[in-house]
Amino acid sequence: MNPDTNRSAVSRRDLLRMIGVCAGGGAMYQAMHSLGFAAESPYRGPIELSRAPKGRSVLVLGAGMAGMTAAYELRNAGYQVQVLEYNDRAGGRSWSLRGGDVYTELGGFRQRCEFDKDLYINPGPWRIPHHHHGMLAYAKKFGIALEPFVQTNYNAYLHNTEAFGGKPQRYREIKADYHGHVAELLAKATHQNALELSVSREDQERLLQSLREWGALDETYSYVSNELTSVRRGFDKNPGGGLSARPVLSKPVGLSDTLRAQLWRGIATGDMFDMQATIFQPVGGMGRFGEAFGRELGPLIRYNSKVTDIHQDDHGVAVTYVDSRSGGAPQQAKADWCVCTIPLSVLSQIPMNVGGALASAIGAVPYSSSVKVGLQFKRRFWEQDEGIYGGISYTNLPILNISYPSTGFLSSGKGVLLGAYVWGMNAMEFTAMTPEERVAKAVEYGSQIHPQYRQEFDNGVAVAWHRVPFSLGCFGLWTPEARAKHYDDLCQIDGRIALAGEHASFIGGWQEGAVTSALDAVGRLHERAVALGDKA
Amino acid sequence: MSFPPSCAKLFALTALVLTVTGTVYADDPRSTSSSKLTATKGAEVYSHVCQGCHMPSGQGAIGAGAYPKLANNPALASWQYIAVIVLNGRNAMPPFGIPSGHSVSGFRAAVLSDAQIADVVNHVRSHFGNQYKDKVTAEQVAELPHPSTVVQF
Repeated sequence: MNPDTNRSAVSRRDLLRMIGVCAGGGAMYQAMHSLGFAAESPYRGPIELSRAPKGRSVLVLGAGMAGMTAAYELRNAGYQVQVLEYNDRAGGRSWSLRGGDVYTELGGFRQRCEFDKDLYINPGPWRIPHHHHGMLAYAKKFGIALEPFVQTNYNAYLHNTEAFGGKPQRYREIKADYHGHVAELLAKATHQNALELSVSREDQERLLQSLREWGALDETYSYVSNELTSVRRGFDKNPGGGLSARPVLSKPVGLSDTLRAQLWRGIATGDMFDMQATIFQPVGGMGRFGEAFGRELGPLIRYNSKVTDIHQDDHGVAVTYVDSRSGGAPQQAKADWCVCTIPLSVLSQIPMNVGGALASAIGAVPYSSSVKVGLQFKRRFWEQDEGIYGGISYTNLPILNISYPSTGFLSSGKGVLLGAYVWGMNAMEFTAMTPEERVAKAVEYGSQIHPQYRQEFDNGVAVAWHRVPFSLGCFGLWTPEARAKHYDDLCQIDGRIALAGEHASFIGGWQEGAVTSALDAVGRLHERAVALGDKA
Repeated sequence: MSFPPSCAKLFALTALVLTVTGTVYADDPRSTSSSKLTATKGAEVYSHVCQGCHMPSGQGAIGAGAYPKLANNPALASWQYIAVIVLNGRNAMPPFGIPSGHSVSGFRAAVLSDAQIADVVNHVRSHFGNQYKDKVTAEQVAELPHPSTVVQF
C-alpha cells in the first residue's frame, strides 16, 4: 500500500523517518514493512464477468502481462477480442533470452545470445513472490511449472570495495556479527537501565533472554568467539567425522569494523515483503508466461503491429497500425471498446483523443533506467569453488548484484549467472555503452568478487531497458506528488478506452501490478458494456 | 516518544534521502553506488548519459516510440528549451535537475549539476550538425525551473 493514499500514513512516515535516522536504513526498512507499507496484491480470485452483451468487441493494445490478462478474461466472458502487439512474440517485458535468440536494441545494436541450450536470463521480471496471487493463479491455470528462487543465500557475499581490503564477506558472517554486537549493546543498556523506552522489570528479563538467543550471546551477554557464535557465522574449520573431526572456531569481527564496513546495508533485503521466502521463478524462464498466454490466445493476437493512432468516438475505437518490421500501408482495427496496455513511454507519443486529465497523466511518468547483463561461464565455479548455490551477492560496485542460478545445482557443463543489475546513474552509463562494452564491464567488475571470471568467462548478453524498442524504459516511476495528482485520472475509463499495466498499479515494476490493473480495468469496462447492452 | 537530541539535527540533512526510500521497487539491494557522474565536460556527459537514448551521433532512434534526434534539430535554437527538458524531463524522459536546496545521494538517483547541464547543452548545440554560437552558463541554468523532487530509479 502506498503511503500517499493513506491518511494515517503521515504519522507513520514521521515515525519511520525517526527510526531511519536513529537506527539506520535497514531498521527503517524493516519497520516500514511491519507497518504495512509493502505492496500486497489486491487479487481476490478469478474475475467473474457474467452477462456480457452479445456481439460486443474489445481491442487490446499490447500482449504483455496486462494485455494478455485482459484479452484472456474478456474472450472467456464472450467478447470478440483482438490484440495488437508490436513484437513477434507475446509477453512484453516478461521475457527470457535463451541460447540462439537474436535481440536488436534501439540504435541497431544486434546481439545473438550464445548461451548453451536451456540456459537463459530474464532481462525483465525474474521473481514471483508467494503473495502475488494473480500471477500464481495464471501459472496454475496454464500449468507453468514453478521452482523456488533463492533470494537470500547465507553463503553468498556482501562486498564493499572500501571494506576488508575489498575482500567479499559471507552474508552469514556479516549478519551474525551485526546482530551479535547489537544484541550485546542492547543487553548492556538494559542492564544499566539505560533504555529510554519504559520496559517493565519482567519485560527486561524477557528482553535479555531474547537478546541472548537472537544475538548468540554467552552467559555474560557478550558476543565472542565460541561454539555459539560459530554455529551462526560458521567455523574456520567445519566439524567432521573421524580423526579430522575437531572443528576450529571462527572469530567475530569487531563492532567498529562491522559498522564501518557498511555491509549491514545488505542484510535486510531478503526481509522485504517482496523478497521473502517463498519466492518463485518459472522453470525455464519468465518467458513461459508469454508463451502460455500466446498459445491460449492463438490467432487473436496480431503480432508485428505498431500502433500509430488511437481514435475514439461515441460508438467505438479505431486504432491505426503499421507492420513493425516492414512498415507499409497503415491498417485499421475497430472495436466497441479498447484496453490500452502500451507503456506510457510509448503511449505518450501516440496521437489519441482523450480528455485533458488522462492526457496529462500519460505524460507525467518518467521511465526507469535499468540494465541486466547475463554471463555464461565455462563451469559453475561459484558452486564448485565457493559453495554458493543460488542467491545474490550484493556489492557497491556499479553491477550491484551477482545472482547465481536457482536451478541446475551441481550440474556439470556451462552455467549462466546474472552478472549485473544496474540502476540510477550507473544504469544510464551502462545504457550509453555498446552491448559488448556492457558485458566487458560486468566481467571486469565481477572479477573483483570472483577472480575466476577472467579464466572462465565464455560469452554474455546485455539488455539496457531504455534501449528496448518495445518499451523505451523499464517501468513507470511515480513520485508521491505525481501519483496524488494523476494516478486516478490514469486509471479512469475515458469514453471507450481503459488503460492497464504496471504503470496503472501500486505494485510498480512487478507483473502482479500489470495483472491486477488489467483485472480492475476489465471489470469496470465490463460494467459499462453491460449497461450499454447488446449490439443492435 | 523521545529520541536523543542528536537525531533531531540529522533530520534536516537526511530527510530527502529517507523520503525517497519509502517506495519499493522490483529489486532493492541496500548497497550504495554513485548517483553522480564525475564527468564534467559536455562531451563526456553526452557520451555517458544522453547517448543511451539519443544515440552516439545524436541521430535518435525509432521503435514502438521514438527518441528525438538532436542532430540538425531546429528546436535547439532555444537553449532554454533544451535546458528545461534536461532539468525537468518530458513525458518518459526522466528529470536530471537537482531540486533547489537539496543534495542528492543514493544509488537510484541520476542527477546532473547545473554546470554539467550547461556544458552538455552547449555541446549538443555545437555538435551533430548544430552550429549555435551562443553559450549558456551554470548560472543561467540555475535560474530556470528545477524539479521539486528527486525521482529514484
